[in-house]
Amino acid sequence: MPENAILLRDIQKRYGEGAGAVNALDGIDLAIAEGEFVAMLGPSGCGKSTLMNLVAGFEAPTAGRVSVFGQPVGKPGPERAVVFQEAALFPWLTVWDNIVFSAKLAGTPKAAYGERAREFIAAVGLGGFEQHLPDQLSGGMKQRVGIARALLMDPQVLLMDEPFGALDAQTRLQMQALLLSIWDRYRKTVVFITHDIDEAILLADTVYVMSARPGRIRTRLPIDLPRPRSVDLVTDQSFNALRRRIFEEIRGDAAHA
Amino acid sequence: MKAAGRLTTQQRSAVSAPRVVAVRWGRLIRTCQTLLLPIVILALWELSGRLNLIPAGLLPPPSRVAVGWWAWAFGPAGLGLNPYSGTWAGNVAFSGLRVFEGFGVAILVGVPLGILIGWSRLAARLVDPTVQALRPVPITAWLPFSIAIFGIRDIGSIFLIALGAFYPIVINSAHGARDVGRNLIRAAEMMGASPLQLLWRVAFPAALPAIFTGLRIGLGIAWTAVIVSEMVAVKSGLGYVLWDAYYVGRMDVVIADMVSIGLAGFLSDLVIVLIERRALGWKHLHRR
Repeated sequence: MPENAILLRDIQKRYGEGAGAVNALDGIDLAIAEGEFVAMLGPSGCGKSTLMNLVAGFEAPTAGRVSVFGQPVGKPGPERAVVFQEAALFPWLTVWDNIVFSAKLAGTPKAAYGERAREFIAAVGLGGFEQHLPDQLSGGMKQRVGIARALLMDPQVLLMDEPFGALDAQTRLQMQALLLSIWDRYRKTVVFITHDIDEAILLADTVYVMSARPGRIRTRLPIDLPRPRSVDLVTDQSFNALRRRIFEEIRGDAAHA
Repeated sequence: MKAAGRLTTQQRSAVSAPRVVAVRWGRLIRTCQTLLLPIVILALWELSGRLNLIPAGLLPPPSRVAVGWWAWAFGPAGLGLNPYSGTWAGNVAFSGLRVFEGFGVAILVGVPLGILIGWSRLAARLVDPTVQALRPVPITAWLPFSIAIFGIRDIGSIFLIALGAFYPIVINSAHGARDVGRNLIRAAEMMGASPLQLLWRVAFPAALPAIFTGLRIGLGIAWTAVIVSEMVAVKSGLGYVLWDAYYVGRMDVVIADMVSIGLAGFLSDLVIVLIERRALGWKHLHRR
């Protein structure tokens, strides 16, 4: 049995005090195995981004424990890489300097990261754009930089907060295909936040369907589609069956609310 | 017939030659429009002097200002008849150096302090109320205080310049550091940035556009401060000559002095703009 990469125990997250307090997360128990690709699926306001922020260390839970490879999570750190929805690149740095930012912070000599940086730039298809500035890139290209930047950190876990949510449908498909091929190559533990059912099924080994107010995990759904996967799967029968199951879960939740 | 949308070289030059001429004409006409008002003002001013509508002692015409300026700039120095002769460059240097020193102090104190105020709530609580309380006191009101403390010496002038330039620099730097996007900070944190690295590698570059805004406003105030302080608190520089020339009725030198101040302010601002353009190349992408 593989070691647990991410462990959340009895997590509660409340914002505010007294009568106006909001329960963002309540009673979350979650164990994610090493090398597992997990998608957190839910409507906006279900606390899925809050959940990711807890693992990243951007926020602290009101109650409960978060640990990554046995280490309790305190502050953010390079062993937990984050890919943000709006890329969050430094606009004054070139693509290259954005990608190697973590290495420069750590004081790593260029000889130690140069070759790996070039490898990841090639892997995300950014060859030739090293000297471009973020403002010269499209939304999809910016996310490629964000992914390469996260890969260079060689993190224990990769946290992705709706990274393709702001992209147009066609670019999103391209980026999903790219992420599938990258994951097949590097096999990181991934927590992928999304509200897109197809995206969750296509990418993940396990989909957690969340419900809102308070944010809870409603269903755990293993996706046993064979890998390597391609975006063509979306039209497959087995894919459709999974989609229907999740759809029913969500509709049940909506009727409940 | 060639493929649609393509022109041979001959055809292209036949089309583009008149267009180039038209573009040049347009530019020339726009330049004339820009220069029209200054030329009219200068002409009316010269004419009213020649026709003795305004006494030359009160407002000498441009031609006499030019002659006076020439003597001030290039005349032999040290002759009794014209005490200003040949002293222009020296006085420009005096004022320029004071601005340089006072403005430099304002930058060295204002930028780091502003970033700290914008970045740390503790620093904001400790320093910001004092800065905000002192700010409404205009630098002209500090003149007697400055003379009492520093006497009629350079340091008093530099103090006023530094103080005047300090406020816009510190306030804009604080504003810039406060407005750094939360996700940029989080991105740096998750990549392992220490608090000092966050300050230097994220807050500072992110605040740089606002800092430059503060520098340009501060430089304008620095030139105001140097002229005011030289009129009262020291015995050299463009401000001193301005007041002195007025007292002895040399209005040609007064006007030449005013134009010199304007030019110095314009050129020093240009230096800041050029540095800004280099430092903030990433901000000016769309203009490339």
